[in-house]
Amino acid sequence: MENRPLEYDYTVTKMFMFTTIALGIVGMLIGVILAFQLAYPGLNLMLGEGLAEYTNFSRLRPLHTDAVIFGFTLSGIFATWYYVGQRVLKVSMAESKLLMFLGKLHFWLYIITVVAVVISLFAGVTTSKEYAEFEWPIDIAIVVVWVLFGMSIFGLIGIRREKSLYISVWYYIATFLGIAMLYLFNNMEIPTIMASAPDGSHVGGNWWHSISMYAGTNDALVQWWYGHNAVAFGFTVPIVAMIYYFLPKESGQAIYSYKLSLLSFWGLMFLYLWAGGHHLLYSTVPDWMQTMGSIFSVILILPSWGSAINMLLTMKGEWQQVAASPLIKFMILASTFYMFSTLEGPIQAIKSVNAIAHFTDWIVGHVHDGVLGWVGFMIMAALFHMAPRVFKREIYSKSLMTSQFWIQTLGVVLYFTSMWIAGITQGMMWRAHDEFGNLAYSFIDTVTVLHPYYTIRGVGGLLYLVGFFMFAYNIYKTMSARPVEESELQSASPMGA
Amino acid sequence: MFHWLEKHPFFFSVGVFLVIAFAGLVEILPSFAQASRPVIGTKPYSILETTGRQIYIKNSCNACHSQLIRPFKSETDRYGHYSLSGEYAYDRPFLWGSKRTGPDLMRVGNYRTTDWHESHMKDPSGVVPGSVMPAYRWMYSNIADIPTAYAEQLTNAQFFSVPYNEPIPMKDGTTEVVKMANNVTDAHAMALAEAKEIAVDMKDQNVKDAVARGEIPEIVALIAYLNSLK
Amino acid sequence: MNKLYLWGIIITAIMLGATYYTIFLTKGGLNGDIVNMLAIAGAISLVIITVFVVIKYVRQMQSDTAQGQLADEQWDGIGEYLNDLPMGWAIAFLLTMIWGMWYFTIGYPVNAYSQIGEYNEDSAAHNAKFESKYADITGDRLIDMGKSVFLAECKVCHGLNADGIDGKAADLNVRMEANVVKFAIENGSNNHLLGSEMPMPDRNGLFNSNTGALITDAEIDVVSKYVANGMSGAGADVFVGTCAACHGEDGKGMEYVAPSVATFSPELVTNILNHGKKGSIGQMPAFDRLNAKQKEAVGAYVTDLSK
Ligand code: HEC
Ligand code: HEC
Ligand code: HEC
Ligand code: HEM
Ligand code: HEM
Ligand SMILES: [Ca+2]
Ligand SMILES: [Ca+2]
Ligand SMILES: [Cu+2]
Repeated sequence: MENRPLEYDYTVTKMFMFTTIALGIVGMLIGVILAFQLAYPGLNLMLGEGLAEYTNFSRLRPLHTDAVIFGFTLSGIFATWYYVGQRVLKVSMAESKLLMFLGKLHFWLYIITVVAVVISLFAGVTTSKEYAEFEWPIDIAIVVVWVLFGMSIFGLIGIRREKSLYISVWYYIATFLGIAMLYLFNNMEIPTIMASAPDGSHVGGNWWHSISMYAGTNDALVQWWYGHNAVAFGFTVPIVAMIYYFLPKESGQAIYSYKLSLLSFWGLMFLYLWAGGHHLLYSTVPDWMQTMGSIFSVILILPSWGSAINMLLTMKGEWQQVAASPLIKFMILASTFYMFSTLEGPIQAIKSVNAIAHFTDWIVGHVHDGVLGWVGFMIMAALFHMAPRVFKREIYSKSLMTSQFWIQTLGVVLYFTSMWIAGITQGMMWRAHDEFGNLAYSFIDTVTVLHPYYTIRGVGGLLYLVGFFMFAYNIYKTMSARPVEESELQSASPMGA
Repeated sequence: MFHWLEKHPFFFSVGVFLVIAFAGLVEILPSFAQASRPVIGTKPYSILETTGRQIYIKNSCNACHSQLIRPFKSETDRYGHYSLSGEYAYDRPFLWGSKRTGPDLMRVGNYRTTDWHESHMKDPSGVVPGSVMPAYRWMYSNIADIPTAYAEQLTNAQFFSVPYNEPIPMKDGTTEVVKMANNVTDAHAMALAEAKEIAVDMKDQNVKDAVARGEIPEIVALIAYLNSLK
Repeated sequence: MNKLYLWGIIITAIMLGATYYTIFLTKGGLNGDIVNMLAIAGAISLVIITVFVVIKYVRQMQSDTAQGQLADEQWDGIGEYLNDLPMGWAIAFLLTMIWGMWYFTIGYPVNAYSQIGEYNEDSAAHNAKFESKYADITGDRLIDMGKSVFLAECKVCHGLNADGIDGKAADLNVRMEANVVKFAIENGSNNHLLGSEMPMPDRNGLFNSNTGALITDAEIDVVSKYVANGMSGAGADVFVGTCAACHGEDGKGMEYVAPSVATFSPELVTNILNHGKKGSIGQMPAFDRLNAKQKEAVGAYVTDLSK
């Protein structure tokens, strides 16, 4: 048994665990609403005609994506960093007043930014760029939050006892650097208050409004260089950081191969950035750039699968653990969905396949294989692992966890099969010509045919949300239960006996 | 070497940064200058069109509509000529979208008209049964924000040399000038003149009355923008 | 057989079933379209590869045991084996890298491919294939073709039954409604209906030769109904006195002078599609992207509707 020389301080972890759950509920609830709005457009008026401006599909959609990405996922990343970082670097936050202060400041500024984002998106203040909707004042706040995150990472590394960096730390560092670079370049914008009227009179207008530094095709190029890598450094790299810590820790197994970790990491870093062109296939960017995007996407399968395989092999010979522990089930299924979406992506990145897939629900299906099956499962698993250690209590209910696992798995399966059918159907119908060589379908025919699949997707999403509420309840009951003796916790598995 | 890097966080970070920054340099920089040159016939947006474009963005129409016609027979049959890079020269931000829940709008001005948009935006499924597009009724009473649009025009002209008040070559060999005002009062007057032309073709009495009073409901600006997409 | 493989086969079968069903949901099926086939092939291989690779590793969880030499270091109790790379993975990685370099330097080097070039070839082939078919279709086949155009292009405004959706566009089941005729008489008409600039004067230019005076409100009402009724009922005298000079006594129009107001004809519809039409109902856009045969066909269809 390891002896614990240190008392780790989980104050900041706890704070971010709370926002992970709260913003997860908000984001996924909106996701379910969106799904049903497409199946039953009457729901655009769910709060009446007067509020339709704020409750219709198009106003809510950016709120969903930003709440789950910058709310749920990012909080999860922060929460796990403040937990994993201390433990693999063998230093406690309590050892540095400064780091503790920065951590709390990080949290509170993050909260303020979240509030500003929610208000501005409801008000329709957006720049329209996907996953970079925010106007410049919020961009500045985000940069500050990010710098504080960086200071936490490098501050903790600076005072570490463990000389050599664990694999997870590599990935956290890459997350920090990647997002920092991408976010800055994609948000180069000129506030319109900087312009002046030719006759010198006062112009007025909204002070927060800005326009992009880049125009047209260039703007698209920068946006998808960002957009693709926001996925890479938001949904992949930090989640890999999590699984490299939580799976071996939870199962007590050693990582299968250091070499595989190493090659997968540097391979991923090198290849990921090149693949962004796959969002712009058949657009007006030069052909050679599109080709690059396709080629690198295909090569990217291997470093992605490398990490997943390393995780599956770490569980070699441990089937009884997988069978007994819902927590490990979550992580094994997460690896599987990671493999699925990192093969699906490259296939969709092949030009001829993208000719059908682009603009359809098959892409939405691909997105949610990844985010529900991989990102969501992994973040929930991480919180389940941390909760007993952070709150010093046993997990409230293991059977609740098992039911949650199956309900959510069913949810993901319904989501992706329905979007698979919807997307391919729509893509093929758009292309179809009839016996006369005329278009076989008017656009609306390709919309009405999707109704059943939109309904099934809504049900799938609802199941996933129900599972998330079970998760939230489980954590809440854990938090508020009777404290357990320190010694008891040391030997008990987090699941209870 | 990797073992050494893992013990030296600074050099490790520098290494990661170089590896990830490299791709951006090679892929993005080379085409920058070339892609931004306008093709003949591409005009900057007028004041009312700019206002409409802001309303399009405010309501995230791009969540469901693309503005990018790919070079496939089925798309050019449905939407018209495939998109050319230079046609986007004045688009800040670009509005290609990534999901076609609704049809492409790149050239919708060629095959839909003011009165149709008026009925459609008010009640999409009343015009196109089975449509999943939301109704945008508040746009018929919300008043459009002309000063912000004017500030955007000025920014375009002053920071990006967008050619307002200059002759622009058209496809038929003639030239056209897109005027920009000298101050916000004139900008409003210009917008109103454009709005009147659109309101004539509309039926909603409240909208017509508002324009007659000198106010511009959002829907009028949005239709001006949609009509400009050609 | 191992239970796992059974599951793998079930999952694969379900996804294949879904994909098969998808193909048959669209009229033409795969339609001989290479893009359709590649997409389906991609979708199928995605499921098969993922399912069976994952099963391979799950089998190792079930039956293998962890082994290998452990590294000296540990992080929070986590150890690392010094195992070699899995061979299959390493080879696949190497092969994709080689393939990538080959593709970009030898296979399809920069500038060897142009998507616009490909488009031009595709549409030329498409046109060649259908032009021969188009050329000589007439009668019912032409009307069928016109219906196919109508359903793809026109029904968003004119409605599935061409009834104009509660007055939002023209009802094409009749030649004209009374208010459209009335509007043309009061305001004149200038829509290139004859294919060239040939306007009809407004009411200040329309003399009733029976009375020798400008047309009156009452006469406008009665003649509008007469035309809308398919040239029957009261008002024939006004029509003959005022309109027949241009539109002919039967209202069927005269070449180069005025269009038919009694019937549609493919030429009339083609002119409307070429120039658009602005009238009392609203504005009908021009349709540049239809070719001549498609316009003729949809013209035949519309003409047939109002018969
Ligand atoms: C939930 C998705 C959705 C949103 C959001 C949406 N639309 Fe649509 N839109 C559709 C669908 C589906 C259609 C096709 C059916 C129809 O014509 O109503 C459509 C059709 C259209 C058309 C007709 C185009 C054509 O070729 O027939 C226009 C114009 C249009 N939308 C404009 C807008 C504008 C402007 C906004 C934002 C203010 C918007 N839409 C928001 C889904 C949407
Ligand atoms: C001087 C010749 C002339 C006279 C007299 C005349 N028309 Fe016309 N009419 C035209 C021409 C030319 C057009 C086509 C105008 C265009 O291209 O828009 C036309 C168009 C029309 C149209 C519009 C058809 C459509 O499809 O929209 C109607 C209706 C019409 N005429 C009815 C009448 C009636 C009723 C009268 C008599 C009261 C009349 N016209 C007298 C020349 C005439
Ligand atoms: C954007 C809406 C729209 C579309 C799309 C459209 N139309 Fe129309 N169409 C109209 C409107 C509005 C009118 C009535 C104009 C008026 O007289 O006020 C009209 C009028 C017509 C008329 C003239 C009727 C008359 O009595 O003079 C014909 C013929 C016609 N349309 C055929 C077609 C065909 C064929 C198509 C498809 C290829 C089509 N339209 C597509 C809106 C549309
Ligand atoms: C090898 C790895 C991957 C590749 C090559 C890849 C490729 C692609 C492609 C080709 C698209 C479609 C672009 C389009 O046509 O619109 C796409 C979209 C997307 N993918 Fe992936 N993908 C990968 C992994 C992932 C993972 C693991 C996730 C999430 C966990 C993910 C999330 C997304 C998202 C959110 C989009 C939508 C972007 C948009 O808004 O249009 N991808 N990806
Ligand atoms: C309860 C579960 C969820 C449901 C029902 C749901 C539903 C939806 C819907 C309906 C859309 C819009 C698709 C469209 O425009 O057609 C969407 C988009 C999106 N969602 Fe979710 N969602 C859920 C959870 C999540 C989670 C957990 C994440 C991320 C962690 C996520 C990330 C995204 C992203 C990135 C997009 C944009 C995709 C694109 O533009 O291609 N969603 N979601
Ligand atoms: Ca921004
Ligand atoms: Ca998208
Ligand atoms: Cu991508």
